[in-house]
Amino acid sequence: MILKLNHLQGKAAAPAAHEVTSTIYSLLEEGRIDQHQFAHLQVELDWVQYKLNFRDPVVAISGSSGPGEPSRLMEVRVDTRQIIPGAFREDMLRALARANPDASPQDQDLLPLEEFQTLRSSIVWKFNRLYWTRLNDWEDVTGQGYEKALPGGQSDGHRADAIADSVIEFWNLLRTLDSKNQLPAEIFMLELGVGTGIRFGLWLDKFKALDAERGSDYYPKLRVLLGDYSLATLEMSKPAVKDHEELCSFLVIDAQNPLKTLSFLRHKILQVHSTNVFDNLPDEEIARRDGKLYFVQARAYIPVSEAERLCTVFDTPVDKIRNCVRRLLDGGFEHMGDTARGVAFWRDIWRAIRLEERMVPFEELPDFQFPGGLDAGKLEDILQAVPGDMRIHLSSGALDSFVNTLPLLHPRGHLQVNDIFVTDFSQYRLGYFGPGKLEGSLLNWVNGALLKEVAGRAGYDVHFAPFSYRKGSKNSILYTTRRD
Amino acid sequence: MIGSYAMPGWLERLKTEYFSRRISRHDLDEIYDSAAKAAIKDQEIAGLDIITDGEPRRDNMVDYFVERFPGVQIDRSSKKFYYDFYDSEVQGKLPVASLGLAQDYKFLRMFTDRQPKFCITGPHCLTKRIRNKYYPTEEALAMDLAKVLNMELKALAKAGANFIQIDEPYYSGFPEDLPWAVRALNALVDGVDAKIAVHICYGNRYGKPSWEGSYRYLFPTILEAKVQQLTLEFARRGGEDLDLFKEFPSSFEVGVGVIDVKTHDVETPDMVVQHLHRALEVLPPERVYVMPDCGCFHLPRDVAFAKLQAMVEGTKMVRKEIGK
Repeated sequence: MILKLNHLQGKAAAPAAHEVTSTIYSLLEEGRIDQHQFAHLQVELDWVQYKLNFRDPVVAISGSSGPGEPSRLMEVRVDTRQIIPGAFREDMLRALARANPDASPQDQDLLPLEEFQTLRSSIVWKFNRLYWTRLNDWEDVTGQGYEKALPGGQSDGHRADAIADSVIEFWNLLRTLDSKNQLPAEIFMLELGVGTGIRFGLWLDKFKALDAERGSDYYPKLRVLLGDYSLATLEMSKPAVKDHEELCSFLVIDAQNPLKTLSFLRHKILQVHSTNVFDNLPDEEIARRDGKLYFVQARAYIPVSEAERLCTVFDTPVDKIRNCVRRLLDGGFEHMGDTARGVAFWRDIWRAIRLEERMVPFEELPDFQFPGGLDAGKLEDILQAVPGDMRIHLSSGALDSFVNTLPLLHPRGHLQVNDIFVTDFSQYRLGYFGPGKLEGSLLNWVNGALLKEVAGRAGYDVHFAPFSYRKGSKNSILYTTRRD
Repeated sequence: MIGSYAMPGWLERLKTEYFSRRISRHDLDEIYDSAAKAAIKDQEIAGLDIITDGEPRRDNMVDYFVERFPGVQIDRSSKKFYYDFYDSEVQGKLPVASLGLAQDYKFLRMFTDRQPKFCITGPHCLTKRIRNKYYPTEEALAMDLAKVLNMELKALAKAGANFIQIDEPYYSGFPEDLPWAVRALNALVDGVDAKIAVHICYGNRYGKPSWEGSYRYLFPTILEAKVQQLTLEFARRGGEDLDLFKEFPSSFEVGVGVIDVKTHDVETPDMVVQHLHRALEVLPPERVYVMPDCGCFHLPRDVAFAKLQAMVEGTKMVRKEIGK
């Protein structure tokens, strides 16, 4: 058995290690873990850092090492912060039962809401999408604006000092182009994921003032595209930019493929900006164990005890819950009666959802659809430089968005993304920030190191800088330009 | 054809394998030969009159040359991916010595009966990529690069190359350099017994433009260039700049780009016809050569092949119209 310890935010996992190892030894002696499993087992402490997430304190993960090979216990991942003293053995036994591929859902004490699949296809992302498309209803019922659910209570995109720097930088770019007679007649900008619109309203106020102060007359040439996949969000953003409405176009855009809507602007957009969009796009994960690459498949479930509670509250038989969830995701919550009841069901299900995981070797899924800019060969090339076992985000939605946005950039344009980035693969050795839960939506680490490698192969340079405008911010700014 | 044909994904992988020392130089050279033959055959089947070897041996348009230049120092560890440029610099005066390009030309000649064209990267572009730690000015470096390349062009002509293209995409990024860049170009082609074309585009690095603007910056300085043909991109950018040839009369043939190599969308023959009609408004047919905007390096092979077929089909339609 290999025990991996992570040292996180000044809190060492080592003190918990004794209880974990002694429990595993006793389970081995009792025959609940066999010798073969024990020999190959990896145990990781601590690995889940988001306080709200989709996993129980102890998660056991099984998988096979190749086609035809039996599935076996491969990993145990423990979030010691959530362990109740003295409860580890019980948590461990429950995790082992759930990881047993031969056990029935009843034995596993869970109600599956779907089959095992890559996380990107899981219903948790459908919940995320429902949240953004029905945001008004969620906010009406809860009486809380979505920004309140963000870690800082408001979007980092609204920071006046960050906006001022962005405006000056963009004005300087325009001045440089102007000095070479290369300033386009129309200056296109794209805000991907508009949020409340406040950020871009402030940006335009500031730019207009600077333009007037310097007499450059760039402001009237701006063509501002505000894009979001949620019509509701676009509508909400309009008042914030009403003073500049003659420059603004509001477009429903799939953040994972802006090129689909904007192909007529290929190589023409001088600035693309987004804040906290990538961390909210569908993602999936891969792992490497003993030199082999695995896809991490997931299955959403709710614990049986939670399912029984929901049955009582919503007067629905347990065997109908899965169907109710499907109808909620496909058709909204109206079928639950009134809006308030529908939103209540939605929120309760969301709170209860957990993810069960298993590992599948790459060679068993030859038709796996890699995100933009990647295939199995390229990924293996990239990961060659990263030694040892690991588990990383593929950041599929973010990668798709990234590679489908870059072609829009003017040769001298830039893409700026403010998000939660892993800026170096080695950071995965220090912690693993898997998908976390916000009110109704998801929050994820974005594998910036992978984005950087993919961008590099497509001719773009990527730089990261800490978001220094808010003390304690975990965000980084990804800045991309065309490579000369 | 402008220069490069589609670079297959499998060949990219094998190039990387070579850099990782997992395949030998001998094997890689055999792979290059096979890829070049396939590229030649594709061009012939598509119906092109003037063809290249598809340039599979070239990692990019710079390294193929700088790694052969005596006197240019290369940091071989600077290349992470095969398509990256080497970090290169000159620390002293460049000696004049052969680069051995004629061998690649002879290979092309051996495998086709069509008119072959051999492409080299020009001194302005190389000057912009090689760090200059010796020469007092960029022009001085460019002139010495031109001197070495001039000897190479003469060797190519001696080997039978009667149509040579000089690639100078960086003109568009540095229009202020044009006066000395044209002087270097003229030094490069001085006394070379072959038809010379100069290809000027807006960049195609990673299949994307590096600059935007108008070809107006070329005129009138480019009229001093001692070349027979200018090949320019018009498919992606539109044909507005063709009017410059009316405004600045010259005897240049014009290679008219009618295929946009920066999109995977395949043109129809009718689109090619439209581009050619526009060109024929300002140029007589005997001065019009039909070609893609730039190299097809970044296109998938099937897309590149289909684009070339459309180009040939559209050209045939126009030839029929004008009875040529």
